[in-house]
Amino acid sequence: MRRPLAAACIWIALLAVPFWLPLMGGYTDLATRALIYAIAASGLNLLLGYTGGLSFGHAAYFGLGAYGAGLCLIHVAPSLPLAILAGTVLGGIAGILIGPLVMRRKGIYFSMITIAFGQMFYFIAVRWNGLTGGEDGLTGFSRVPVQIGGHAVMLGPERFYYLVLAVFALVMAVIWQILRSPLGHGFVAVRENPTRLRFLGVAVERQIWVAFAISAFIAALAGALNALLTGFASPDNLGWQLSGSFVVICVLGGMRSVWGPFLGAAIFIVAQDYLSSITQNWMSFIGLIFILAVLFFPQGLLGFSRLKASR
Amino acid sequence: MILKSGSGLNRRGMLRAGAAAGLASLALPETGWGQSETPVKIGNIDPRTGTYAALGENQIRGATMAVAELNQKGGILGRPVQLLVEDSQGLPGPAIGKAQKLVNQDKVDFLMGSVSSAVSASLSQFAQQHNLIYVDTGGHADDITGKKCSWNTFRTCSTTWMLTAGDFGLLYKKFGKKWFFLTPDYAFGHALYADYVAQLQQAGGTAVGNALAPLGTTDFSSYLIQARAANPDVLICLQAGDDLVNLLKQAVQFGMDKQMAIAGAMQELEVLEALPPAALLGWWTFEWYWNQPGVPHVAEFISAYKTKFGKVPTARSWFGYASAHALALAANQAKTLDAQKVAKALEGLELPPEIALQPGKCYYRAEDHQMIANMFPGSVPKGATYPNLFEVAQTVPGGTIAKPPAEAGCHMVYPG
Repeated sequence: MRRPLAAACIWIALLAVPFWLPLMGGYTDLATRALIYAIAASGLNLLLGYTGGLSFGHAAYFGLGAYGAGLCLIHVAPSLPLAILAGTVLGGIAGILIGPLVMRRKGIYFSMITIAFGQMFYFIAVRWNGLTGGEDGLTGFSRVPVQIGGHAVMLGPERFYYLVLAVFALVMAVIWQILRSPLGHGFVAVRENPTRLRFLGVAVERQIWVAFAISAFIAALAGALNALLTGFASPDNLGWQLSGSFVVICVLGGMRSVWGPFLGAAIFIVAQDYLSSITQNWMSFIGLIFILAVLFFPQGLLGFSRLKASR
Repeated sequence: MILKSGSGLNRRGMLRAGAAAGLASLALPETGWGQSETPVKIGNIDPRTGTYAALGENQIRGATMAVAELNQKGGILGRPVQLLVEDSQGLPGPAIGKAQKLVNQDKVDFLMGSVSSAVSASLSQFAQQHNLIYVDTGGHADDITGKKCSWNTFRTCSTTWMLTAGDFGLLYKKFGKKWFFLTPDYAFGHALYADYVAQLQQAGGTAVGNALAPLGTTDFSSYLIQARAANPDVLICLQAGDDLVNLLKQAVQFGMDKQMAIAGAMQELEVLEALPPAALLGWWTFEWYWNQPGVPHVAEFISAYKTKFGKVPTARSWFGYASAHALALAANQAKTLDAQKVAKALEGLELPPEIALQPGKCYYRAEDHQMIANMFPGSVPKGATYPNLFEVAQTVPGGTIAKPPAEAGCHMVYPG
């Protein structure tokens, strides 16, 4: 009974962000960024938390989403929905293609090969100067107005926040549905006991492939939204540091929970924004928070609170 | 269990400490101004962490000093000036995050800063979308005031073309026509290389080789072996920051300085300061140098800066100083903070001698918003010690070497 109530509170708080966040010394774009990271981390968590595959290369799909959206706006058509779709499809297809190459690897080898593919896309973005703008990143696009019922609606920070919130809700619903379905149970079974699954005649690798592809699609969707938030795509969007941040967000919030990545992203983004304004050594504090979280909340913050509640 | 009971306290204590530090940083009142005056806010985004941290810090110092002077002399439009400093990490993503914060939360009136050209380009576009003036303090890529120029963006540091043209004539005359290049493998390095080669070929020299080293290379031995095999007259090192420190140390270990002239485009006091004595050598261009005997106001500036920060000002300090002052001059001249009117006032704005701090005319060119100031080519003297790490051979007026605006490729478009 308490669960739906808590969820309802969170959604109401999220809907009201543009009203209360500025009063607390925040700004709407900060919440938008936190939601975008939450979407990406939720996608990764489907693979990391539920299927048990530690990917250190998910920024690659995030970044492909960003470049896909940007290139679509510059070269194809100035349409926001089309740009989001293009970015999502580009990153998602990359995930589908790379899935078979990583799905047979286990443990540390799985992580290594996902890093390798991530860095491959990073170097392509740095090298392909003509298309991607190289090290300087891709600029020259912005959030174009959306056509709604014949009216051109400009998306300012607040409206764009609600667009991202709607996408976030959609992603959460999709993940929720997947986890309740036989497919989702299959993912968890892969994590818990792949050997037994194999004896039962389940194609374990194909399960991993599907989880990998879905999570790549979601990460790419987040990347496309991020490109529209910042107005550019840069090679850092593809780099291993960002992949690492996504993993940190999942671990911090709690990998065994649907809301874990959201909580992790909110803490990570707010702490980063706040600490980096008051000290140059903010990275040490982020590291400290992470170490404390891993030491004292090995199940993540949500995992911890649930443990307490069940006692 | 033992761990768990202690954890709550630690975390809470830490968060409390963080909150206290945050509040303390907010509550810094400027003396001498009425409580009712709302300050004019300048958002300064510079790298305080990462490869460019030392350079960013000096730009911030320069800007801080300018703002302190402004507040003693009536501020902007009679209002106090506040400098809000944020860390870009030298990366465009975090820089845009900080810009969003400064614009949406702090409601800044102007933006300035940046060391990396990638950050400059993204901030320039961001500021344009938000109808704000942005002064690119220290990102050098030609495009910022060339193909990517925009009505709201002004640049205080020079272009990559000017960096190479600054010492090209001197090097060519003095050392010869066979040049080998060590180029950092990213946009800035490629631009410097292309600019040097264009001038070299025009003068009748040859580029005998170009070794591309990735950004962040620590071991340059294979590149140095290539360079030695090519036997050039001049070895041009286009690296910056920590990369250049590593490269110069190793070049000396290899004895390269005995066989050829070691030279490059941009050199900075911050880099020379970090070098061991054995690697202090070479021919370079400074964009501003503190030791300018006989130039009015420079001595006062240096002593004031030294008192405040304990070090001599560098070119980066001057960039920050001049950028903040230029914004104030333009706003006071336009008698408004309106971005388009301030932009018009910045166009062609000439820095007065106490801010220019160098001979001749220093001004933002109206056509492409590029600052035209002097270049200071010269060399590192033997046995140099801080702060006398450079000897200016000549002062080259920027107007004689900058590409004309038409050639730079800027088509300025104004809103409305």
